Order: sequence, then structure tokens, then C-alpha cells
Amino acid sequence: MSGSSNVGMHIDHNVQEDPEKLAEFEAKIDAGQLIEPDDWLPQAYRTGMLKMAEHHANSEIIGALPEGEWITRAPSLRRKLALTAKVQDEVGHGQMLYRVSQDLGKTRDQMLRDLITGVTKYHNVFNYPAPTWGDIAMIQWLIDGAAIMNQKSLADGAYGPYVRTMKRINMEEAFHFKCGEDMVLTLMSGTAQQRVLGQDAFDRWWYPSLMFFGPPDKPNCRNLPPMRWRMKTVTNDDLRQRFINRFVPAAKDLGLKIHVVKKSDDGMVIEKQLDPNLHYDESTENWTVTDPDWEEFYRVIRGGGPCNKQRLGLRRFSYEQGRWVRIAIMNGRAGLPPAA
Amino acid sequence: MSKIREHPPDAKGEMTSPKEGDLKAFTVFTQLQRGDPHIYAGCVDAADAKMALQFAREHYGQDQPCVNIWVVPKQAIAATEYDKDLIWRYTDQTYRLARGYAKGVREKWEKIRAKNDLDDYEKEDLKEMF
Repeated sequence: MSGSSNVGMHIDHNVQEDPEKLAEFEAKIDAGQLIEPDDWLPQAYRTGMLKMAEHHANSEIIGALPEGEWITRAPSLRRKLALTAKVQDEVGHGQMLYRVSQDLGKTRDQMLRDLITGVTKYHNVFNYPAPTWGDIAMIQWLIDGAAIMNQKSLADGAYGPYVRTMKRINMEEAFHFKCGEDMVLTLMSGTAQQRVLGQDAFDRWWYPSLMFFGPPDKPNCRNLPPMRWRMKTVTNDDLRQRFINRFVPAAKDLGLKIHVVKKSDDGMVIEKQLDPNLHYDESTENWTVTDPDWEEFYRVIRGGGPCNKQRLGLRRFSYEQGRWVRIAIMNGRAGLPPAA
Repeated sequence: MSKIREHPPDAKGEMTSPKEGDLKAFTVFTQLQRGDPHIYAGCVDAADAKMALQFAREHYGQDQPCVNIWVVPKQAIAATEYDKDLIWRYTDQTYRLARGYAKGVREKWEKIRAKNDLDDYEKEDLKEMF
């Protein structure tokens, strides 16, 4: 039977795994078999998968916040319906991924508390502002496009519950991406004012999209556990290159210019110039662009992004407001986390 | 023959029988390959889960190869009612599906790109999912 109970996590990082069981486990992965929650798992696999699934779940529910703000301001009824459906999808993805995480040994309430008290993280990309409708279009085109590329690679992974969830999620992400593409096309084939709105939003989201795939590869990343155990199947840099090759030509066709930008602390572009490194390499068939500012990436992860406080503040507010619901359904067992 | 029938479980140990009345109904779900979802296969009557699994092997493990079986007491399954619960609404829901945008997106691209370019582009796109 599948479906483990919520046991407390006791992680011993120095644990010596039984070499026989470990070999059996690795042979299963090499043979392309899916790993299930009740199979024997190395401790590092369990903690690694939990960290990954929990981070993904956190990102889905925080990711709904910048877009949720725009539901009331959508420019037409059809766009409003679509955006509402998208936000509903994202929160649903969070639910599915918390469920996967629970089976790896952490309770849902602990995960929700760890998120709002800053113990665990969510995806960096959601710490940037979405000041116009153009940002909503670019998020759905670039970020959801990046998410599909990433999640399609994750759907080739080895952990059964996560793989099955990715497949389900990707079907819904295809709608988000296609809808985003439709919005971007509408903007970029619209009035001069609409095209400026689109370009400005593109300038704000281009670099966060490149950073979406995570920091540059470590030289030995293919031999480290995340890839050896097929928790990930494609490296960050390879995914980033696929993204660049897919989106640079599309941006050019749409009349979008690729800029290197300097941003203020609140995430608005204060200086920009055409990317001097943009070119197509015939021999490798790859597009080259200027690398993201990785110092900015780490600064935002550590809490120094334009919207970190705002996003967590809203999530915390909503957790506190939902207290009565948890009390009602959990028979009085719901408390509040310590003040931040 | 299904592999699940080639390796019957150890038949030792106690098997319960109901003190009174009939056997209980168990709903059976079979999994055709590791990693696949379990699919509804049918129903068996048994005194307990252990017996239900044994019967399910015989009934549902023989017509097609399956690698795993779940049995669930039928009483434990809660279900919606066909006429009372409307799950799928009858209004236009295409705004929440990728295919709801396919035509419009293509038309908009057509104004921007040459047609053969567009076919190439769609081929490499995420088309298999729509």
C-alpha cells in the first residue's frame, strides 16, 4: 500500500547506509524504475526529495500571490476568468506537492509554519514586483514557459509520486503558457502604448527568467546525488540554454528587444542598454546572452529582494486569518507560529 | 499468466471468517506497471483484506499482467451522486485549457511570422501537450 503516515523527521547526516540496500536502490534507478514512498530510501534521498517537493509546493502558493493581485484589474472578463483559473491551478499544485512532501515525512502544518517563519524558502522569482498588466503577460509567458521546461525534465525523474504530480501539473501549465503567449501576442501586436508596456515588462522579467533555473552548474553536478538519483535529469545551465534558444528568436519576432538592465531596490528598471553579447553561434546552434547578475540572485535568496517582505507578510496574514478553519476541521488542534 | 499469480503469498497464519452474516465487499484496483496509477478492476467478497487480496489475485491477476493490487472495503469509499452533484459545468470552459488559445495564438503569430516559419516553430513548441 502506498501512503505513509506523518512520522517525525529524524535526520542523521552521518548515517551509514546499508551498502547492499543502497546498491539495490541505485540499480532500480539505473533500470529506469520508479521509486515509491514505501520503498527503502537512503536518508539523503528522502531529505533531498522532501526539500525539493516542499520548496516546489511553497513556490506554487507564493507564486499565486503576485498574480492574484491582478484578478480584480484584469482588462476583460475572459482574461479575468483565465487568471482566476490559473491562480486556482497554482494553489492546487501546492496542495498536490504538499501531499507528496507529507509522504516523505513532514506534516503539512509544519511546512506551512516553516514557510511563514522563513525556515524554508520558495522560488526566488516571486520576490519581484508585477506593477502592470504587462508583467502578468510576461510572467505567464516567460516564467510559466521556463516552469514547463523545468517540470518536463523533472517528470523524467525517478520518484514516482513527484513524477506523477509533474505530469498532471504540466498539463495545466500548458494552459498557463498558451494563455501567456496569447496575452504577449495581443500586447505586442497592439498600440504603441501596449508595445511599450510589453517591452518594459519584458525588461523586468528577462533576467529573473534566466535565474529561474538556478545558479550555474557545479563542475561535477552530474555525479552528485540529485542527478545520480534522478531527482533532477537536466542541469541548470542546459535548461537555461534551452530556454534562451526557445525565447530569444520568439522575442525578436515579437519586436521585443533584449536589454541588460540595472534595477532599483524596488525592482524597477533604472538603466538599460541593448545586450552587447547577444549573438547566434552557428557552430553550436546556441544563442548567447549576457549572464544574469548572480550576486543579485544570492542577495534576493537571502531576503534582499524587492518583494520578499510583502509576499511572506501576505502569506502569514492569510495563514493567521485561516486559523478558525484549521481549528474547525482539525478539532481544535491548530495553533499559531511564534511571532516573526 | 500475470507475475502476481506466479508468486502466491505464504499461506500460513490465521484467516478470519465472519462471525455472522455475509462476507464483506472489497473494491479492487490493479496496477499494470510499476509507477502507473491503480485502476478500478472490480469487486470481490471476502472476510478480510488478506482474503480479499487473495481472491483479487485470482480474479483480476489472471486476465492481464499486473504488478500490484489494492483492495478497499467498499463501505469505505465515499462517492458523489450522478444527478445531484454537478462536477463538470456546462458553460464554456475553454479559457482554462491550452486548446482554448491555440487558434487565436496561431492567428496572431501568422500576422507576425511567415507560414513555414510558423510550422517549424509549432513543431518545436510544447505541442504534444495540447
